[in-house]
Amino acid sequence: MRVVPLLLLSLCASHSLAHAQSAPTQAPFSTRTGEWPSYTGDTRGSRYSPLDQIAANNFSTLEVAWRFKTDSLGPRPEFKLEGTPLVVGGVLYTTGGTGRAVVALDAVTGEQRWVHREDEGERGAAAARALSGRGLAYWTDGKEARILYVTPGYRLIALSAATGARIPSFGTDGVVDLKTDIDQTILPDLTTGEIGYQGAPVVGRNVVVIGAAFKEGSAPKSYRNNKGYVRGFDVKTGKRLWTFHTIPVKGEPGYDSWKNGSAEYTGNTGVWTQVTVDEELGLVYLPVESPTGDYYGGHRPGNNLYGESLVCLDLRTGKKKWHYQIVHHPIWDFDLASAPILADIKVGGRAIKSVALPTKQGILYVFDRVTGKPVWPFTETPVEKGDVPGEWYSPTQPIPTRPVAYAKNGVSTDDLIDFTPELKAAGLEIASKYKIGPIFTPPVASKAEGPLGTIARGPTNGGTNWPGGAYDPVTHTVYVASSNAAAVSLGLVKPADKERSDMDWIAGVATGGRGGGFNVQGLPIFKPPYGTLSAIDLDKGEIKWQVAHGETPDAVRNHAALKDMTIPRTGQPGFIVGTLVTKTLVIAGDPQVTTLATRPRGAMLRAYDKATGKEVGEVLLPAPVSGSPMTYAVGGKQYIVVAVSGGPYSGEFIALRLPSVNGR
Amino acid sequence: MREMRGKALRCRPLDALRLLGVTTLGVIMLVAIAAFTVAPRHALSQRPGRTVWDSVYTEDQATRGKTGYNQNCAKCHQASLEGADESPALVGGAFLGNWNGYTVGDVHERVRTTMPKNDPGIYGRQLISDVLAYVLKSNGFPAGSTELPTELAPLKEIRIESKKP
Repeated sequence: MRVVPLLLLSLCASHSLAHAQSAPTQAPFSTRTGEWPSYTGDTRGSRYSPLDQIAANNFSTLEVAWRFKTDSLGPRPEFKLEGTPLVVGGVLYTTGGTGRAVVALDAVTGEQRWVHREDEGERGAAAARALSGRGLAYWTDGKEARILYVTPGYRLIALSAATGARIPSFGTDGVVDLKTDIDQTILPDLTTGEIGYQGAPVVGRNVVVIGAAFKEGSAPKSYRNNKGYVRGFDVKTGKRLWTFHTIPVKGEPGYDSWKNGSAEYTGNTGVWTQVTVDEELGLVYLPVESPTGDYYGGHRPGNNLYGESLVCLDLRTGKKKWHYQIVHHPIWDFDLASAPILADIKVGGRAIKSVALPTKQGILYVFDRVTGKPVWPFTETPVEKGDVPGEWYSPTQPIPTRPVAYAKNGVSTDDLIDFTPELKAAGLEIASKYKIGPIFTPPVASKAEGPLGTIARGPTNGGTNWPGGAYDPVTHTVYVASSNAAAVSLGLVKPADKERSDMDWIAGVATGGRGGGFNVQGLPIFKPPYGTLSAIDLDKGEIKWQVAHGETPDAVRNHAALKDMTIPRTGQPGFIVGTLVTKTLVIAGDPQVTTLATRPRGAMLRAYDKATGKEVGEVLLPAPVSGSPMTYAVGGKQYIVVAVSGGPYSGEFIALRLPSVNGR
Repeated sequence: MREMRGKALRCRPLDALRLLGVTTLGVIMLVAIAAFTVAPRHALSQRPGRTVWDSVYTEDQATRGKTGYNQNCAKCHQASLEGADESPALVGGAFLGNWNGYTVGDVHERVRTTMPKNDPGIYGRQLISDVLAYVLKSNGFPAGSTELPTELAPLKEIRIESKKP
């Protein structure tokens, strides 16, 4: 196998750095040296590695180097393993299992080095966001190395990377209780108070940034909730350095965007996905979620800053530099769900330090990350005003002039299934009971005689969700997967009683209305492609290529009504994980398992030529690819590690590498 | 390279099985079982294997299951069974794709041992079977005159097939 001499040299360099006595100012480990020291490879949301041993000509020959099952890392097996491990100095670190334990494994063999678990009892069981989360952070000053993660019970833990033991000098015996020292009292108490974080912490300039997450919010118990403030902590001591009020407090700018004093009691508005850090500029980028009540905002009239806003802060002080509200007065659950991507681009000959944000809307919003100005203008576009009693509507929403949307985000009758006249009629029949329209068509009060709701694509798992995108710093290209066919009904009902909820309206279907989803004889109600992979040139603001991603689902391929038809690959709806970019490839996984005549049941990890979008290889995995893949090199061999889980298959990390040749 | 790729694929049947979650021990056992079952194989293939298309639950049971579902499951998986961010859909292509070829018993075990996520193990077998009857109904599988059983062995005899035979 061809190994790039430069790679070997740089691997040696990183090895010596690990043992250097002087404290380097920059992170000593990098994807440039074949490692993966942060959730997205770097802190910039890139998911890029220059490794090139695994390439178009050999991707399909990848074989299992080792596998690690997470079943015993908690009281029961986990069927939704979403983590991406880190690799530094030949050791792989990851969270795993229903107890969200941390393990260190030998990156070559998968052998367990150490495991750390926290027993949180009731507090862990009451977690706002359970399971193993997305991962952890690595930090070193050249002398000492630490692993940082957030438990299901919302405590920040610092561990020795060498032994897995808590760092006694950090917080209180290695722990910072994140439910305290948060500029509010978490209600009702520290054990059950709803707030948590399933994302991986990010560290830059010795500051660890922690977001906040809550339970699903389409039908909350109350319009009051805890607030999702974001905080920065000193990575050495655990001391809180700053708190950013994602809902401004009285006297702060933005407070007036919550009319009738609704900033006082409204909650949520956290950052549950990955935070991005620009270490060079000393800035942090927060993708903020929706305020309380995903689909009804009548208890919080006004634009609701910083709900669904991209916010830029000074990393050391937490002072706001700029913000841009992507959705005014959020009522579509368009949480900013993906890590912002830092991209140094050249537009019309002008160098711009930009930040690009993939979204559930299937729109890539691109800003100058220093000034917060859109790189290509956004148009405040008039949108339909709804008629849910008590709701407050924003008359306009910003829509970028470029790049154009990379996913379908509205619904018209032309978008509905039309494989055969019968299927088309059946699809139209279902849709006739609902309201449809372009993006930002508002939710409706559900009526048994119709409309039952508004059909939307984005909210639950349309567009791009937490898996986010990837960025190639060489070609200035963003790679992003998206789901087109995740239909959701935005219908509102009055809660049965105050015990259920004190909201005026919550998500639901009118009594007597149909249930059971939007399938048409077992087929998605939308036309394919159900899922795509796009390459977007950020110098031009143009989609370079777009392909259907994911094997045609069994339900489509085997459908009796489609037996004699030739249907091109449809792609798959769902959380498409990836994308990972290497020197030559873009890699992404299938979110559903399929069974073909030519191969057994399984889900594919696919590789595409990143220049053209041509598929160049695939590897069969035993279950849906459920966590974003990462890559590293140790001992001159490149590895790809990916999490799989789902259906009957419990969580497992699988490490792939090329076959050995000539006894090596 | 192309030639080598083909060769690599041909040479690694065991690796292919390992990718599919079969351990070396499992491979040996499979081979052993295959050897032992050569004779009764014909009998096995004659056995009328039931699938979810064979009217394996009743309407009454699905109605009970709907109540149970709405009380216990809908909060996360939604009243429409379409799921939400953290909770997978229980209707449609992804759900059937995941479980296609497995049995209703496998789903029953999965629910019994992992749900609800904050306190797994609290649901009784009858409640789970009733809810599964509702899930089968919601996925378009036909009702009949016999209820879905509650014991694992008979549940394991009912195969999930997304495609109508």
